[in-house]
Amino acid sequence: MNKILWQLSLLVFACHIGYSQGDDHTISGYIRDAANGETIIGANVYIDEIQSGTVSNEYGFYSVNLPEGTYTLMVSYVGFDSQIEQVNLNQDIKLDIEIGVESQELQEVVISSEAANANVSNTEISVNKLDIGTIKKIPTLLGEVEILRSIQLLPGVSTVGEGATGFNVRGGSIDQNLVLLDEAPVYNSSHLFGFFSVFNPDAVKDVKLYKGGIPARYGGRLSSILDVRMKEGNNKNFAFNGGVGAIFSRLAIEGPIVKDKASFIIAGRRSYADVLAQPFLDEDAQGSALNFHDLTLKTNWTLGEKDRLFLSGYTGRDNFRFGDDAGFNWGNATATLRWNHIYNDGLFGNVTAYYSDYDYQISFGDDSNNRFDWDAAIKNYAIKPEFTWFLNTNNQVRFGGQLIIYEFDPGNAIGVSEGEALDLSLDNRFAIESGIYVENEQTVSDKLTINYGLRLSYFNYVGEGDAFTFDEETPVGRRRMVTSVESFDQWESIQTYANLEPRLSLKYQLNEQESFKATYNRTAQYIHLLSNTAASTPVDIWTPSTNNIRPQVSDQVAIGYFRNSKDNSFEFSVETYYKRLDNLIDYVDGADLLLNPFIEGDILEGRGRAYGLEFYLRKNAGRFTGWASYTLARSERLVEGINNNEWYATRFDQTHNLSLTTFYDVSKRLDVSANFAIISGTPLTLPTTRIEQQGFIIPHNVDNARNNFRIPVYHRLDISATLQGKKNETRRWQGEWVFSVYNVYSRRNAFSIFTRQTGNGVKEAVRLSVFGNYIPAVAYNFKF
Amino acid sequence: MRILTYTSILLLCATLFSCEDVVELDLDGEGGDVVIDAWINNKSETQGIRLTLSQSFFNSNTIIVRDAVVLVNNETRGETYEFINADTASTYTFTPEAGSNIGDVGDIMSLSIEHSRGRFEAQTTINRVPPLDSIQQEFRDDELFSDDGIYTQFFARDPVGQGDAYWIQTYRNDVFLNNASQLNIAFDAGFDAGSRVDGLIFIPPIREFTNIINEDGIPAPWDVGDEIRVEIHSISVEAFNFLEIARDQILNGDNGIFTLPQANTRSNIIRNNGQEALGFFNVAAVSSLSDTIVEQ
Repeated sequence: MNKILWQLSLLVFACHIGYSQGDDHTISGYIRDAANGETIIGANVYIDEIQSGTVSNEYGFYSVNLPEGTYTLMVSYVGFDSQIEQVNLNQDIKLDIEIGVESQELQEVVISSEAANANVSNTEISVNKLDIGTIKKIPTLLGEVEILRSIQLLPGVSTVGEGATGFNVRGGSIDQNLVLLDEAPVYNSSHLFGFFSVFNPDAVKDVKLYKGGIPARYGGRLSSILDVRMKEGNNKNFAFNGGVGAIFSRLAIEGPIVKDKASFIIAGRRSYADVLAQPFLDEDAQGSALNFHDLTLKTNWTLGEKDRLFLSGYTGRDNFRFGDDAGFNWGNATATLRWNHIYNDGLFGNVTAYYSDYDYQISFGDDSNNRFDWDAAIKNYAIKPEFTWFLNTNNQVRFGGQLIIYEFDPGNAIGVSEGEALDLSLDNRFAIESGIYVENEQTVSDKLTINYGLRLSYFNYVGEGDAFTFDEETPVGRRRMVTSVESFDQWESIQTYANLEPRLSLKYQLNEQESFKATYNRTAQYIHLLSNTAASTPVDIWTPSTNNIRPQVSDQVAIGYFRNSKDNSFEFSVETYYKRLDNLIDYVDGADLLLNPFIEGDILEGRGRAYGLEFYLRKNAGRFTGWASYTLARSERLVEGINNNEWYATRFDQTHNLSLTTFYDVSKRLDVSANFAIISGTPLTLPTTRIEQQGFIIPHNVDNARNNFRIPVYHRLDISATLQGKKNETRRWQGEWVFSVYNVYSRRNAFSIFTRQTGNGVKEAVRLSVFGNYIPAVAYNFKF
Repeated sequence: MRILTYTSILLLCATLFSCEDVVELDLDGEGGDVVIDAWINNKSETQGIRLTLSQSFFNSNTIIVRDAVVLVNNETRGETYEFINADTASTYTFTPEAGSNIGDVGDIMSLSIEHSRGRFEAQTTINRVPPLDSIQQEFRDDELFSDDGIYTQFFARDPVGQGDAYWIQTYRNDVFLNNASQLNIAFDAGFDAGSRVDGLIFIPPIREFTNIINEDGIPAPWDVGDEIRVEIHSISVEAFNFLEIARDQILNGDNGIFTLPQANTRSNIIRNNGQEALGFFNVAAVSSLSDTIVEQ
């Protein structure tokens, strides 16, 4: 093991890079928003004299290494005015640049700047970025700005259905997405199942979804990375943001602690349906609760020129209580501490330490002699040092590592029956996941840029705990019984796994407006969400890879053509991908996933494949903007013991998925927007026959098929209008009204179709629609 | 732990805006396979085995399979009992002599059926069953989901040793309460094999699934004067798995957006072509207790 680590670290230096010290000097610094001091991720720094440049990193830092001379730097970012700086480079220079939000009049000029073709000119393929400004304009359910629902409007993203937790990327299951909030993973990103996400839009700065071409710096999940970055907080002035909607009330406060040096943001939300409902509940229902809330906070300090510290955290909870005797709540908590350090003008370092926790509690019974209390959690502690080495304008090297300690608490349950207590708790499980990586983004020529990297991941399933061996003779597809148990001490290794994960993306620029890109990546995943219901429930638990559960591994290739036209006001891309997934998890019929110490005996192993074609057309400029995405795709599984050992389509397989998202500025005060989606029905399994036993009619599927039926086509139109309050220069208070209608024409889209037997023996097929009607909403937002 | 115990709570929340519509659907699977319904017991009374044909899902006809030779063997005793299908009856029956039965706990039992559609074989063991200790009647005030009135629960203790499985049946005035949501099965004293609830008094809500279920699927109170009879039938682990899947599938629609995947019940009966047949063969030992509901 050590040998591999050593070889990999050598690789950092062995990369063939034309790095010459000579008379070169470095220009480096941060790119910031002039209005509030927020650093800008992905701003373009273009040096006219060499017709090349760089991009600011996740912390807004950039660095370029150039021979002595005079240079013109142009800094640009979509939605901001470009800024031009003349630099006489005869020594290393520190240059922080602030750019301002574009003024309406300059819009045309800005759009023609170099940065606007970043989608064509960078190596990123299978990556979608949504800025919070755009997300806020999309029509939403009940007027609540929604990050996870917004990304479902992008090509390659599907879901089991409305209201289902999570999302599916290119045929991957929901636990194959690494959802990061300021680098800390969020294990359940939903409030109220899948209707609302845990991300408070007032605190979010930037959202990036990697569906493929995942750089080596990310690891741990098969299918995607959703990287959500929080705002740092205005370091110039205090600002208040808030809103009153149909579901949430929100308030965010941000401001400087020390002007230009330290700032904070704190943003909270709470749903209040239960508060409003309380007076109307009858006596039995008093004490009932149905609410969810979250609190997001972040602060940062600039400690001199070379160091910055960030501390961010999230806590949120969904809380349900029915009368006095049944309660259920779940929530996430994350905390991230980051330290940015500039070692020298070309080497930027960041060390992140984070904690993340997801847990739930369920309780039944109001008397102490007969009750049931159950809780479960997944906790992890991690440290992640990362370095960006701006070698020269042609090479940007990143290297680093990650160490995660997991504690799985799969269920503590105490039942009390007539005063007799019964402990159904499962043992905690422990694991250590580590990874090291190196990647280089190399500009080979004017036309060719390659991002290549390698990640080595290593997983150690450790004690204290019992390791089970299961009966190998059991026919595949049936529950396997335990044959032996072996106990392990704390930190004693039970099973280890390692994977080498090569990553590659390349861009070949045909001309200024057109490029071809291609990518290959291998990803490995060591922790798994155990879920066999159509939509995942909040009580689904995570499990480590064990001596019986192998890590999931995926390989994906994608190629794409990117083209911008009309001065980059139109962006177009088409991509095709093929993905293979190994060691996927499935379950025997009748599997017990909860409070089952022998759960591994109920797990089956399978393969998957997904392929598709994704089109994306976006219009960025003018009064009418928006995008269209269309995906033609297939996602399938092959599991021995299911569907007669033949390939079957997954529950979230969508053959066609077309969505249109449009925005129109009617006037300075009024914006309107609409989105429309039409999606092939997803597959599900229905019985074909029935058998009678002891007076019961048992549904039966004569072919033992999985997903043998498709629900009807899904389509939906949403609209919204935002009316700004009258501008009054003397007043800081700015308000806006948002009117929206979700599911405008009251389409009863099927989430599923199921069969049901009524009391008198009548059998019927029933369509379940999550929304049966149009849903109008009004929200008021303000800032001052 | 079955999903059943918590989904009701989840669903209430998930269905705030949802709606259900009955739709036309063509589920015309090819039926015509022999289904063997052989859940018999060692009580000294007439035992019945029913043979039908599987039907397409929405077809409401029941087609009885006649002219089969149905034999149950007690391998331990070396005795064979022939189940006879009287001309008009839909069931093949055997009545043991007064005071005798077809087997005792621990006996190995086999089933063999000969018919023009095939030959079927199965084997099982009569498992132990604990005695019923008591049936408790209690007046309860109305709660969030149920009316006030007299509710019952039974008490019995699972014997020590893992792997006992039971089907607890409740009769109201001799009528079996066969609502699927009351299909009350227990593994040791708990819900399932994973729970390790061994050697205890049956846990709630197992002991409370002895109540009447109304049209809304909610427990309803008993009437004064009703006769309640609770029977515990010992079943094999395979039979437990069969009934667990059967119950989950019958009730799957109630799970809303959290439906389980469709799964077929797994039979312990083998056809002469080596394939698994449809239906199940179980011979239960039974313990039973009756009571009359009185004013509380």
